[in-house]
Amino acid sequence: MKTALVTIVTGLLAATPLAAQSVEDFPSKPMTYIIPFNAGGESDVSARFQQSEWENVTGQQVVIQYQPGAGGAQAWSQLNSLPGDGYTIMGINLPHTVLQPLAGSVGYATEDLTPVHYFHYTPDAIFVRAESEFTSLDQLIEHAKENPGLVTFAGSGSNSSNNLAAIRFNEQAGVTTTYVPFSGTGPSITAVLGGSTMAGFNYATSGVSQGDAMRMLAVASEERLPAFPDVPTFKELGYDIVGGAYRGVAVPASASEELRQRISDIISEINAQPAFVEKMESAGFVLTDIGYDEMDEFVAARIEDYTAGAKALGIIQ
Amino acid sequence: MDILGYLLNALTPFNLMLALVGVVLGTVIGALPGLSATMAVAVLVPFTFTMDPAAGLIALGAIYTGAIYGGAYAAILVNTPGTPSAIATTFDGFPMAKRGDGGLAISVATIASVAGGIVGAVALLVLAPPLARVALAFGPTEYFWLAIFGLTLIAALSVGNTVKGLIGACFGLFLSMIGVAVVGGDVRYTMDMQRFLAGIDLTSAIIGLYCVPVILDLVANADPHLKPSETGGLRFAEGFRHSLKRKFNIVRSSVIGTVIGILPGAGGSIAGLVSYSEARRSSDDPDSFGKGNPDGVIATEAANNATVGGGFIPTLVLGIPGTPPDAIILGALLVQGIKIGPTLFTTDANIVYTFIWGLLIATVLMLPVGLLIGRYAYSSITKVPKAVLVPTVALLTIIGAFAIHSNVEDAQLMVGLGILAWVLNRYGFQPSPIVLGLVLGSIAEQGFVQTYLIGNASGRLTEMFFMRPISIGIIGAALLTLLFPIWSDWKSKRRAQLAQAGVQFANAEASTIPEPKRRDVPGMIFAGLFVILGIAIYVGASALSPLGAVFPIAIAAALIAFSVLLIVMNLRRPAGGPGETLDLNGGAIRRIALGIVMLAWVLLIPEIGFLVTSLAAFLAIMIIADYDRPSPRTWAIWIGSGALICFGFWWLMANVLLLRMPAGMLF
Repeated sequence: MKTALVTIVTGLLAATPLAAQSVEDFPSKPMTYIIPFNAGGESDVSARFQQSEWENVTGQQVVIQYQPGAGGAQAWSQLNSLPGDGYTIMGINLPHTVLQPLAGSVGYATEDLTPVHYFHYTPDAIFVRAESEFTSLDQLIEHAKENPGLVTFAGSGSNSSNNLAAIRFNEQAGVTTTYVPFSGTGPSITAVLGGSTMAGFNYATSGVSQGDAMRMLAVASEERLPAFPDVPTFKELGYDIVGGAYRGVAVPASASEELRQRISDIISEINAQPAFVEKMESAGFVLTDIGYDEMDEFVAARIEDYTAGAKALGIIQ
Repeated sequence: MDILGYLLNALTPFNLMLALVGVVLGTVIGALPGLSATMAVAVLVPFTFTMDPAAGLIALGAIYTGAIYGGAYAAILVNTPGTPSAIATTFDGFPMAKRGDGGLAISVATIASVAGGIVGAVALLVLAPPLARVALAFGPTEYFWLAIFGLTLIAALSVGNTVKGLIGACFGLFLSMIGVAVVGGDVRYTMDMQRFLAGIDLTSAIIGLYCVPVILDLVANADPHLKPSETGGLRFAEGFRHSLKRKFNIVRSSVIGTVIGILPGAGGSIAGLVSYSEARRSSDDPDSFGKGNPDGVIATEAANNATVGGGFIPTLVLGIPGTPPDAIILGALLVQGIKIGPTLFTTDANIVYTFIWGLLIATVLMLPVGLLIGRYAYSSITKVPKAVLVPTVALLTIIGAFAIHSNVEDAQLMVGLGILAWVLNRYGFQPSPIVLGLVLGSIAEQGFVQTYLIGNASGRLTEMFFMRPISIGIIGAALLTLLFPIWSDWKSKRRAQLAQAGVQFANAEASTIPEPKRRDVPGMIFAGLFVILGIAIYVGASALSPLGAVFPIAIAAALIAFSVLLIVMNLRRPAGGPGETLDLNGGAIRRIALGIVMLAWVLLIPEIGFLVTSLAAFLAIMIIADYDRPSPRTWAIWIGSGALICFGFWWLMANVLLLRMPAGMLF
């Protein structure tokens, strides 16, 4: 009964209209955090990790809602129609929010969105299942060179970070492989574990959740991951592949500059909580601390990088 | 400690209370179309952070299993699956309720749900690690054939009307392609409208296709919604005896449900459809399915509750969630710091086994809870006057479609599809094939294109599609389902012929020559429209990437072929069919008025606000649906309760479910 009571009380609080207030007091009621994807993905899990620290840091709870559809575009296209009082924030992802508007009319442009903080990224990584004959990236590349097109990679979605990484891998290693898109990380991992595809281009986080059932051959991070000290980076092996999906928090464009900075600070502070760092890193996430003040520069650099990738994907000429 | 020892942990008063509250809450949420288990679980997850992990899991699992069961009420009583898992429950549940057997339908649904839930949970308890391999044995090819198997059910559902059923399925498959394609990433058939980007939402489409026609027919005459039952009550003893006789059906459906539950991406709706199809095929009397055979309800409900336990198997063993609620529960576990994976059953055995026992207890609690809520729901729906029932159900359809994404556009789509479904149904295009196409379309397409990519890469395309052992089994089952109705039809004709031959001399004129079918002009007009749609789909596919265009082209070709076939078949029939005259009698006027009010309702919500629009529409529909002309005092009571219902739901959505309500001029 306690839970129900808390729900009702929280609900009542949320309904209470509040007069205009100073940013220092923000937040003074529970916040809503919209995840533009289904539950269970990396966006959801990392937001749930933040949620468990939210009350410690801000003194208020946060409610997570899901608004999946069109690979996130459904929610992002509606972001600016939400109230800009700061109490509704939305998860935002790269390269999605750059590649989608390039690929077609999805109801928003990259510059319409206002990210205030990118708090982590999940590097792309190549996986094979435990029973696979491949124990190193070199073996896989050799096999791909001898049999062009034969090596299949399962990955999450078309025009996604996994897709970009697979294309880049083909270029860098000088091979031809087949990328098979699945409707998310779960189904693509199932395909790798079940042997439907020879290997997978997934996020490093899957290496943690699958334990010994899968082998990570290489990871697209700058440095080796704390959770996988034995897995080499692509860079070490001589391939210039660094990338993955960045996840952050965005606000409606109508939010004031002070609010944007304040929410960026909240996310930064959560990023510094030892329990949060522990959970994120042991799950294979790589924390970043890209706050509102560095945002323009960061996004501009990513756009440049992904536009080159979009050409390779054939999205743009 | 062995497995049984953990039972004691689950039996603490606190855990028992969580299981009970969870089941009650879940059943109520599941019974309201659109309010889903996913939503309830998502809202409640933060409260489990501070609980003991096993207790939190028990609460979430109880809500989940209760919601899957609760979906049966709406399916039986108002022909609307409360959750997509209950789609096949409507096939026989609603006809039963209409003829006065609604209580019996609820009883057998409850018994089957509890039995199915127990089978699923026991499988999770004792066989989880080995069964998880099933999830891995299913590759893209198997998903493709599973979806095709589901589609073959159309042949059985539309006996005597197969071509129209196939056209409906193609239309449903087309609806499933709208939006951003997973494979290929193309934006397809959105007509550059933002609202179609995320595709047609399955839940709101189901509500529209099944429920709106029911309420449109409700206002057309003064007959009660459901025929009052003769004996009253739920007829539990009778239901129990019947279920006991059908124990083989229950066991088979539960096993199908458990196995399909293990497959991530398949889910309760497919489990229900497959076991319904199997129950029909193995029945002595397949023709009574779809006309109110309790065995259809038993099959679906046993299967969909078995998917709950089944779905937890890949979630807990592999960290791959079987269903959306499983995915949220997975997230909750990760936040608690519990590491999912094969070792979970040994390192955190205490939590896992306590939870599974809790789930079993919650499943057993569904029996008393369900019978109590069921009795109340059934008697209130038969007793409530039409003038209150119709606007309440209409309100629920709109709330349900809106609540999924806090999006009024979903509700607008729901009403539009519903009116279309009513018109189509009147001319013989039933909603079920459309829904099957919509549910199975994306699974079939993804499976097909992935299989093609993998097979093409290794140059073994035929082998990939047709030579995998599990695929061969599914193809066999699909062929059986497809050919069985034709075969049994032939057999019964043959039997009739033989019988006829015997009595021919004695009673020559008794041999009934079936009246030749007349030309169906409206059906031909619709077929013509579907040909145009097919051409439009084909033309639209030319702008897509090769990956994204394969399926649309195939569907367009099939849609055109079946529609032309329907036209040709009718041209060969004698003209002068039953002329459809547009008879604007009282019923038709009320129907049209209701359609207009519902359209105005969903169009005005974003402009004026949810509560005010709903109150006005509620009142208008009351007037449209009223046949009793009661005293002003009764009217006052009706209006008062209507206002209370509107306000109650508005408050629930805005303050408990924390949906973002549309901000109109008023509120």
